[in-house]
Amino acid sequence: MVRVKSPQDLGAGAVFALIGVAGLYFGRELAFGTAARMGPGYFPTLLSILILAIGIIVAIRGLTTEGPPIEPVQLRPIAMIIAAILIFGVLIGVVGLALTALLLTVFAAYARREVKLTETILLGAGLAAFTVAVFVYLLGQPLPAWWGR
Amino acid sequence: MGFDLFQNLATGFGAAVSLKNLGFALIGCLLGTLIGVLPGIGPIPTIAMLLPITFGLDPLSSLIMLAGIYYGAQYGGSTTSILVNIPGEAASIVTCIDGHQMAKQGRAGAALAVAALGSFFAGCVGTVFIAAFGPPLAAIAQEFNSPDYFSLMVLGLVTAVILAHGSVIKAIGMVLVGLLLGLVGTDVNSGLTRYTFGISELWDGIDFVPLVIGMFGIVEIIRNLERSTLPRAQFSARLKDLWPSRKDFDASWRAVLRGTALGSLLGILPGGGAVLAAFASYTLEKKVAKDPSRFGNGAIEGVAGPESANNAASQTSFIPLLTLGLPSNAIMALMMGAMIIQGIQPGSAVMTKRPDLFWGMVASMWIGNLMLLVINLPLIGIWVRLLSVPYRLLYPAILLFCVIGIYSTNTNIAQLVLCAAFAVFGYVLLRFGCEPAPLVLGFILGPLMEENLRRSLVISRGDPMVFIERPISAILLAATVAVIALIVLPQFRKTREEAFQ
Repeated sequence: MVRVKSPQDLGAGAVFALIGVAGLYFGRELAFGTAARMGPGYFPTLLSILILAIGIIVAIRGLTTEGPPIEPVQLRPIAMIIAAILIFGVLIGVVGLALTALLLTVFAAYARREVKLTETILLGAGLAAFTVAVFVYLLGQPLPAWWGR
Repeated sequence: MGFDLFQNLATGFGAAVSLKNLGFALIGCLLGTLIGVLPGIGPIPTIAMLLPITFGLDPLSSLIMLAGIYYGAQYGGSTTSILVNIPGEAASIVTCIDGHQMAKQGRAGAALAVAALGSFFAGCVGTVFIAAFGPPLAAIAQEFNSPDYFSLMVLGLVTAVILAHGSVIKAIGMVLVGLLLGLVGTDVNSGLTRYTFGISELWDGIDFVPLVIGMFGIVEIIRNLERSTLPRAQFSARLKDLWPSRKDFDASWRAVLRGTALGSLLGILPGGGAVLAAFASYTLEKKVAKDPSRFGNGAIEGVAGPESANNAASQTSFIPLLTLGLPSNAIMALMMGAMIIQGIQPGSAVMTKRPDLFWGMVASMWIGNLMLLVINLPLIGIWVRLLSVPYRLLYPAILLFCVIGIYSTNTNIAQLVLCAAFAVFGYVLLRFGCEPAPLVLGFILGPLMEENLRRSLVISRGDPMVFIERPISAILLAATVAVIALIVLPQFRKTREEAFQ
């Protein structure tokens, strides 16, 4: 039974190896060409092989050299923040910045356990007013302030 | 030469002193100080999220503002380090050690003043450095050919990896992944799309605003939220006696000089920049001190040296970008992106084709440093009050600015999906001990490296010896080998670890 001595290194090695393999697999139809006439696949293939090699070295190091453990992942913050980003993307074109900003604030607030709802809604309203004024009207960024525009 | 320098600086001041550009320098410095003071957001995501706003500005104004954010953050970061023991910015971590001790002893005013004055002095020297070394370096760069550029990028990336902290091999892996990500999109030579998976939004390549904001800004928010205690300021120090005493001056002026010299040199190196300079300067001050035990207990040299060094380095790290077109750290990669968006290819041609741009930026940095002195010393009370804003109110605002920044670059939901994907990717890699900065460097250099490799091999008809036969390229590669050899030496390894402890 092989003992994992450095979980961080093993994990990083696996990610690199995976990227290297993906680079080779998804680039397999790109012409490699020759050194004098590099095809579109030449440099990506070269890089993918190097990434794969580094992945293997780092993974082996994860089995042979002691290293720090991986900090446990907390699901709530990452899930809620990612959800807030995606919700912004879905809604901004439909209902405009004002409402989307408010919603994003509420979602982001739930990335923490203790939520003060009144405070969050006030903050969201304040941020909505500020960003609409600054980004839409003052800076003229390509964002709809309200729906239907 | 001396006369040229004068004339060039006159051109620069002429361009930078317009009311509009002074205004943008002020906005940049204020924003930089703000994010430097606020923990939980650094200059990298800030510059990334402001890029879309700069699309409509002229190139000089936008670069003046973005540069102001960078060196402004160095000033602001020291304020929070000293007063509340929270580094607002990575380059100010060492300032916490002695700066906060001084604050506890009621000498916060002296520490802040020495930090600001040292930074101002270092900033001025850094600006002169750019003015003096820029033109000769650019002249050398004009002799560069494709093989030389390729070797230069290899040297730059390797040095950047070795001088940054963390595992070297993982950082090299990250650089390579960045290079590969940089190739996504349409290949300019064959017209074929690569790694686009049939998604039309990827045909122009991965946009770097969502990548940078995802991997730096969003990951930072998530990590802060995972801590049981949110970054929060407890401010108790008094600000009386802002002016340092005679004794403080005597103790710190040598440290300022040493820090400035060290920072100016380390800033030029690829991978150098403000963070390394601050750490190295602190180590140096401890080494040269008669009584090293004072360090950690409020030694003013421990504030004066690193604060001067980080500011000098943040100025001189523009040199490789402006003269060679080589970004030496993640922030310079962003500046390079900003220039490319404006239709300017960074490199030696900037100085000959757009002297107003180069010298205008140099001049604006000096003006900006003067503004920062005013912003920071008398107005310090306002910045401190900002610290009492709790993080739970801050992070939704940061998140909102981030997504608005992404959406404004390209009003497309795909950009936000990309940002979310890179946030998860960056989060996972960080859990595995991989820093995101090398990836960004590789990402911005990917297409350039491929193009120069291709051209080199076309010239040599496929013979890789071309990289050794051309003298400039051979010297650069020899330097790369030397740098790699260094990391194998146990003595260097030890120093490197000490510098980042």
